[in-house]
Amino acid sequence: MDPLEVEFLAEKETVKIIPNFSLDKIYLIGGDLGPFNPGLPVDVPVWLALNLKQRQKCRIVPPEWMDVDKLEETRDLERKEDTFTPAPSPYYMELTKLLLNHASDNIPKADEIRTLVKDIWDTRIAKLRLSADSFISQQEAHAQLDNLTLMEINTIRTFLLDSLNCMYKLRSNLQPASSKGQYADF
Amino acid sequence: MSDAVSDGGSDASHDDGQEDVMTPAELIAKLEEAWLNERFSPELLENRSEVVECVMEQLTHMEENLQRVKKGDAKASIHRMEIDRIRFVLSSYLRSRLQKIEKFFPHVLEREKSRGEGDPSLLSPEEFAFAKEYHTNTESYLKAVALKRMPPNLQAVDLLKTVPEPCLDSFVFLRVKERQENILVEPETDDQREYVVDLEEGSQHLMRYRTISLLVSSGAVQLI
Repeated sequence: MDPLEVEFLAEKETVKIIPNFSLDKIYLIGGDLGPFNPGLPVDVPVWLALNLKQRQKCRIVPPEWMDVDKLEETRDLERKEDTFTPAPSPYYMELTKLLLNHASDNIPKADEIRTLVKDIWDTRIAKLRLSADSFISQQEAHAQLDNLTLMEINTIRTFLLDSLNCMYKLRSNLQPASSKGQYADF
Repeated sequence: MSDAVSDGGSDASHDDGQEDVMTPAELIAKLEEAWLNERFSPELLENRSEVVECVMEQLTHMEENLQRVKKGDAKASIHRMEIDRIRFVLSSYLRSRLQKIEKFFPHVLEREKSRGEGDPSLLSPEEFAFAKEYHTNTESYLKAVALKRMPPNLQAVDLLKTVPEPCLDSFVFLRVKERQENILVEPETDDQREYVVDLEEGSQHLMRYRTISLLVSSGAVQLI
């Protein structure tokens, strides 16, 4: 899957905005939005928030977890634990990127947040690589991956799944009894 | 797809998709589930034409309404953005199905042939026509460029044997939507033992598609 498609899914998350215009309730296929009144916060999906922001029609309120103190806590916990801790948000990486790229003027300490999220990401990806390595070397058939986010899975997907398939092909050739001749590929 | 029972024929094209009480938002969620499952499963899944048709209806309906709105309306542009997003998911879903049909067409057609009278069809009528045409075209192409110049005993080609089958042993990532007990995990090597796992609701796993393929079609797990 393309990372942009993961970002597309992340854009469905809701975020609070403070509009500077007024508009009645909108009845979208995916649910109702609004009404919009200047100065009154309202929940909208991220894709709409970014569009409005680009047209300078609103101010984005950063999500609760996008806060230096909370992220520092998450980072320290992530570094201390060997397993994956619950991510700040199932789309923390995508949302950080989207919101900081398009609305950094609405987010206090944007640069610090960017660094913290990158730190958390790096720590988690390092753990992911380690566990993928042991998954392969111990020839496991099942792994539980709670707390991993879609973007994290997606970064390792192609490489891990293809290598597992390759190894499976090699191994099933070594064990001729189980081969059914269906692993042929172009 | 147990909820497709009421979709007896393709005459369910009345307004509001009345076969089951589903809000448009739930419908879009269904489409997204089907999209992700189709993107990540190694084989072609059962068609969800009831969902596709309802979404198409919603889109046309909304577009008709937008025709009547005058240009520059702030609401209309928001509606258009939403339509574009849904349309993207819809076409990506249909496109990934077509790609799989092209890749596995002899097997897809074979499964379609061997399916029982009452079983739901894997392909929508349009996809079936596409698969058949693709099959005929491939055959006549092979004949025209190569086979007819071969010695007579080598002129036949069995597409079922030459086109690879989908590899059901691939690993997939999945999220559990309904708790499952006692899923048997087969060992990777001979010196390991098989064992069972329970899939807790909301947990995420990495395992072979073959083990959980039935759970994907029943909707108990979601591929991610």
